[in-house]
Amino acid sequence: MDRRTFLKSGAALPAVAATTGLPGFAFGTTAETWRIFEVTTSVEVLKPAGGTHVWLPVPLTSDTDYQKSLGNAWTAEGGTVRYTQNPKYRAGIVAAEFPQSVQKPTLRLVSRFATRDRAVDLSVKGTGAKEDPAVLRLNLAATDLLPTDGVVRRTAQEITKGKKNDLDKARAIYEWVVDNTFRDPQTRGCGVGDIKSMLEAKNLGGKCADLNALFVGLARSIGIPARDVYGVRVAASKHGYKSLGANSENITKAQHCRAEFYAQGYGWIPVDPADVRKVVLEEPPGNLAVTDDKVQRMRRMLFGAWEMNWLAYNYAHDVELPGARGPKVGFFMYPNGETGAGRLDSLDPDGFKYTITSRELKSV
Amino acid sequence: MLAGATAHAAELKAVDAPPPSALELSDISGRVHRLSDYRGRVVLVNFWATWCEPCREEMPSLDRLQKQLGTRSFVVLAVNVDEPEARIAKFLSAMPLDFPVLLDAGSKLTRAWKVRVLPASFVISPDGRARYTVTGELDWSAPAVVERIAKLLPGQ
Repeated sequence: MDRRTFLKSGAALPAVAATTGLPGFAFGTTAETWRIFEVTTSVEVLKPAGGTHVWLPVPLTSDTDYQKSLGNAWTAEGGTVRYTQNPKYRAGIVAAEFPQSVQKPTLRLVSRFATRDRAVDLSVKGTGAKEDPAVLRLNLAATDLLPTDGVVRRTAQEITKGKKNDLDKARAIYEWVVDNTFRDPQTRGCGVGDIKSMLEAKNLGGKCADLNALFVGLARSIGIPARDVYGVRVAASKHGYKSLGANSENITKAQHCRAEFYAQGYGWIPVDPADVRKVVLEEPPGNLAVTDDKVQRMRRMLFGAWEMNWLAYNYAHDVELPGARGPKVGFFMYPNGETGAGRLDSLDPDGFKYTITSRELKSV
Repeated sequence: MLAGATAHAAELKAVDAPPPSALELSDISGRVHRLSDYRGRVVLVNFWATWCEPCREEMPSLDRLQKQLGTRSFVVLAVNVDEPEARIAKFLSAMPLDFPVLLDAGSKLTRAWKVRVLPASFVISPDGRARYTVTGELDWSAPAVVERIAKLLPGQ
């Protein structure tokens, strides 16, 4: 795909070097620290009944110091594609619509982006970028997925008792979430999944993604702006952890949601308590103890840093899918689709059908 | 560590109370089921989801229990917690079940019955009262379990 076809999306794009090699980015960073990836999502709706709609997320529409969009390009056989941004969270949405007559609706989206490992120096206050107050307000609000009252606030207050500043409070919440993910083998069953239920049942053993939502809910409930960041793993981990990377080109099921919180003087600080739990459960040989070196190392790293073998899509909640008959989606991290017969199951790539692949590029 | 985590295996917990709310849900073919329709039978209301491993492990034993006790005086109502029909249908094609699977889209009933852990089960006697609750998975075909449920059947 030539570069011109490629640079289609509305995101502001950095200047690209005219010749081979890594592009020159404007923000005083050394080119060597950035990695460039291309992620391709291919969708082929198997049982189109009546008209078909497909919606796909794209990389963050605003560049950051850890991720920059290098453009999105798409082709849809027999359909029309529109690119829009969700008004509240500015999530980019590639929306394809196919008429009833199309027997095999197919959509292909290629996204290129650059990432750089992210780490905040927590020993140095006063260097963080200030955030727009409207954004901070947005990230303090309760949502359907993130209630911030009742047991959520009570728990957060208990966890942070005696802590003086937001950084210490957030760290206390992080450590508490990590500590309480070590599943008591005698605890039966799975948590239902919403954070109030998790806290009331004293059962954090539900789906992994809920742990980061729990962190965000607890932080917001005591006035610390925090948000989920929805994305997908795109490469293996350089730190030698099998459980924390995509270990092949096929990343169809490698979606992963992270979290960050905001502290005055530091700006946004990345965390990932869910991945500490993942190391505990899945890092070979599996079911590691809290004292295991591998766990301790990640536990320390994942407060304040993200390895960027991962693509961030958006921060969006309660997303209205343009042209949909079905309901809003709680978050937008997977391909979504709809036919005359109803909403397709995003968690069933074989039934839907879609594949997502990732490759690292040496140049754009 | 969390205080209050259960320190014993899942078991039938004896209660005696009306169900937390009325139950009225559609099954996967669109037919509406009400708990009141089953007055006169023992009803086992089981809350589950395809992503919940203990739920998947327990399902075959619920199916065995249904087959063992028959449908004249006993029925399992498997309430799925807020999953898309396509996913439930796919699960059932691999594991056909001999009892209704009801759809609790939006988790309304799940919340009304204060279900926070899956699987969760409520055994309702023929007079419509809840007699046992279970949090977590159970082997429903174990003789000791079958015996206690059989004692609730009409005519016992």
